[in-house]
Amino acid sequence: MDEISELRNQIDDELLGTSNGHDAQKDKYMTFKSGSEYFGLKIQYVNEIIQFQTITEIPETEDYIKGLINLRGKVIPVIDVRLRFKQEPFEYNDRTCIIVISVKSTVVGLIVEKIAEVVEISDKNILPPPTIGNTDKAHHKYVYGIGKIGDTVKLLLDPDKLINDDDLEGVEQVNESNNEEGD
Amino acid sequence: MAEEFNAEGMLDMYLFENGQLLEQLQETVLEQKDADCFDEESINEIFRTMHTIKGSSGIMMFDDIMAVSHKLEDVFYFLRESHPDNVPHLELVEHVLEVSDFITGEMDKLQNGDPADGDSSELIKELDQFLTSIQGDSEKAGTKPPPKSEHVEPKQFYIAPVATSASHFYKIYITFFPETEMSNVHAYKTVYALKEIAEDLLYSPEDIIADASSAETILEEGFRILLQAQCTEEDIRNIVNEGYDIQRVDIYECSAEEFVHGFDFGGHKSEIDLESDVEEIEKKANEDKEASRGQAKASAKKPEMAPGDFVIKSKEPGKKKKLARDKPKGEKASFISVNVSKMDQLMDLIGELVISESVVLQNPDLKVPGLNLNSFNKAAAQMSKISTDLQNVIMSMRMVPLTNTFQKMNRIVFDVSRKLGKDIEFEMIGEQTEVDKNIIEHISDPLMHMVRNAVDHGIESNEERKEAGKAEKGKVTLSAKTEAGKVWISVEDNGKGLDREALLAKARKQGLLDDNKPDSAYSDKEVYQFITLPGFSTKEQVTEYSGRGVGMDVVVQNIQSIGGALEIDSTPGFGSVMSLKIPLTLAIVNGIVMETGNSSFVLETAVIKEFFSVTEDMMIHEPNGEEYVMIRGECFPVIRLGKWYDLKEEYQESVEKGMMLILEVEDKKICLFVDRLIGEQEIVVKPIPSYIKKVKGLSGCTQLGDGSIALILDPGGLIA
Repeated sequence: MDEISELRNQIDDELLGTSNGHDAQKDKYMTFKSGSEYFGLKIQYVNEIIQFQTITEIPETEDYIKGLINLRGKVIPVIDVRLRFKQEPFEYNDRTCIIVISVKSTVVGLIVEKIAEVVEISDKNILPPPTIGNTDKAHHKYVYGIGKIGDTVKLLLDPDKLINDDDLEGVEQVNESNNEEGD
Repeated sequence: MAEEFNAEGMLDMYLFENGQLLEQLQETVLEQKDADCFDEESINEIFRTMHTIKGSSGIMMFDDIMAVSHKLEDVFYFLRESHPDNVPHLELVEHVLEVSDFITGEMDKLQNGDPADGDSSELIKELDQFLTSIQGDSEKAGTKPPPKSEHVEPKQFYIAPVATSASHFYKIYITFFPETEMSNVHAYKTVYALKEIAEDLLYSPEDIIADASSAETILEEGFRILLQAQCTEEDIRNIVNEGYDIQRVDIYECSAEEFVHGFDFGGHKSEIDLESDVEEIEKKANEDKEASRGQAKASAKKPEMAPGDFVIKSKEPGKKKKLARDKPKGEKASFISVNVSKMDQLMDLIGELVISESVVLQNPDLKVPGLNLNSFNKAAAQMSKISTDLQNVIMSMRMVPLTNTFQKMNRIVFDVSRKLGKDIEFEMIGEQTEVDKNIIEHISDPLMHMVRNAVDHGIESNEERKEAGKAEKGKVTLSAKTEAGKVWISVEDNGKGLDREALLAKARKQGLLDDNKPDSAYSDKEVYQFITLPGFSTKEQVTEYSGRGVGMDVVVQNIQSIGGALEIDSTPGFGSVMSLKIPLTLAIVNGIVMETGNSSFVLETAVIKEFFSVTEDMMIHEPNGEEYVMIRGECFPVIRLGKWYDLKEEYQESVEKGMMLILEVEDKKICLFVDRLIGEQEIVVKPIPSYIKKVKGLSGCTQLGDGSIALILDPGGLIA
């Protein structure tokens, strides 16, 4: 719990930096773990991080759309990032967090396995994702870059593509490649 | 509105105010369109409206709007001053509406950020012709034309009051503070006040009211008044005193000679006070009339046939003279305009409040045995009462009478019937009925289609009506009423009605009918519903207004989107009735909360007819898996909610342990099987975020007392 509160404070601090202009948020990324990889989201998309709470399921929707939550009177949809990446589902517990992001006025909650930290990655440390053959092309759908921090890498996500499902084919291909990685 | 005084804010204000004025104007005009002339009050009102629009447009530098409103103002100035007997009333109504349309159109452009580039010269020309024609007529009729309007070079109709020896003559110089806005209005106020004591009054600059630019002149050169009155300088000072607007008042007494001489400063000489001038003329005109016709009628309202009038009049044979009815003037309610988003926010907050109230009042902590909750319960009851009141108030704030919407329809009937040469009476019933603002926005367009259809297709041409032995004047009735928590809005016409055979033939041609079924197998209602299908129009000729087969399907779509329905009824030869059945409000409904598995669902209370516990032997199973239930000899199809949505969690399989709900929607009945009922509750309807694709049978979501979210079922979606 302490870990989460700490992170939340950190995020709040970062987000408060908005008033000082965008520079304070520039190059800052919220990172989280999903499967074996670490992903990063530009911090200006992140509204807040909330504790896991009861989700009202909606029938007949894609399985990665877990349902609706009540965020202080606002009803927002939540999606499971692991299921979005077609990875194996995981058990939610009280450490599970929801990252609330807003992209082009759509507010969506992302259920992630584990929130890591806020990191700074400057533009020069961001590489375009490498392309090997055709299968990997699909990867670009929502990973737009690879950020290097020392020895570790974070896959940087395009949140717009992450929440919008206009490339189902691509998802399937990612799925396949992920499975291969998993194996 | 915006605190900062920028052009943007001014434009908003301009659009808002003038929009309201124009709406009011249309209402007034349409109210009296069937009369033979406008009553005096309306003439004054239209005159004032045009005047205001002219003034504000001038300030905003929308020259075309200013020019055209100015022209119309001229026309009404003439009407006001000389009471011409024989104004072709309908033509006048059309002119007013045209002008109002032009201005509305320009304002729409401005609203969208486009420049107001419409050309008013055509309109002005027409108005000029119109004015000339009525002026010509009235001269023949023996009425003296008054001075055209303020801005026109003065024709001196002025009869100087005789100065008595007690009269004093004053020159008054008024200097306004340089930052005074609209100093011309302030100046006019002064003039108006002085008139009380004045025997004679002249001022410069002259047309302070008509000409907004005079404000600058006044600021620069000061405002000058020549006054003849039986009073002292002191009296004047009492009336014209220095204040927040007036910086300095200088009063000099002068001789009568000087007074007659007028202002001894350069430029154009004096202008006479308009009001007293007017009275004189009025008197004179009336005297003339009395002399020539021996008629002692102050406001000449009796129509007299004149050449320009005849064309219009002949269209309404046997029409009885109808005077514009006097509107009872109630006490004026005061209004403020509030941003709708603020209202919505308030609405949301009150919704939240209601929910958190139930969170508090139904808190599990209170269920501890042995607690003495007497005073808590009292306080809780009081709180519930207040929050219910609060909810009612906010609901009533959102309720708007249909009057404005209906007025618009009046306009459409007028326009369309004039263009089509049909003679149509329009009646409105129950326009005071109040409906949620959101709903009004949704029904305006559908209603327009329906009214147009009624006028265009419903009512036959004058000749046809005559042949059919009907009164030539058709009638369209628009009515509204509330019944059983719904609003019914009907458009009724006494035209030819729907042609069942033609509809069937067309439907057959379009392959909408089952080939094996004879025509007679379709009920009238079914047949009439065909006209709501896209691309279905039996009208051979496409007119400007309708007949393209788009329209009725859009109407139905719009109505369905707010949970309403359209009913069509028709009697061949006697007309048809189209009724919209719409919910009173979208925001808060009474709902029954129920559970299946772990999921909560809500259904609007109104659609639930009955709750029923059934036994296994009442069930009928079809081999294909469909189920029916037999209740009191009636057979209903059964939907098991858990199965319908393929819920992952465990849900009740045995019908004896669950609950059957009988739902009725649009004459269809089904049974819905759920695990258990939770209770009835007022729910605040929220849309499901658009991110989630539409799920069949769900219409929204709501927050329950414990803060969790329940899905609102849409019975129409379940049945379809």
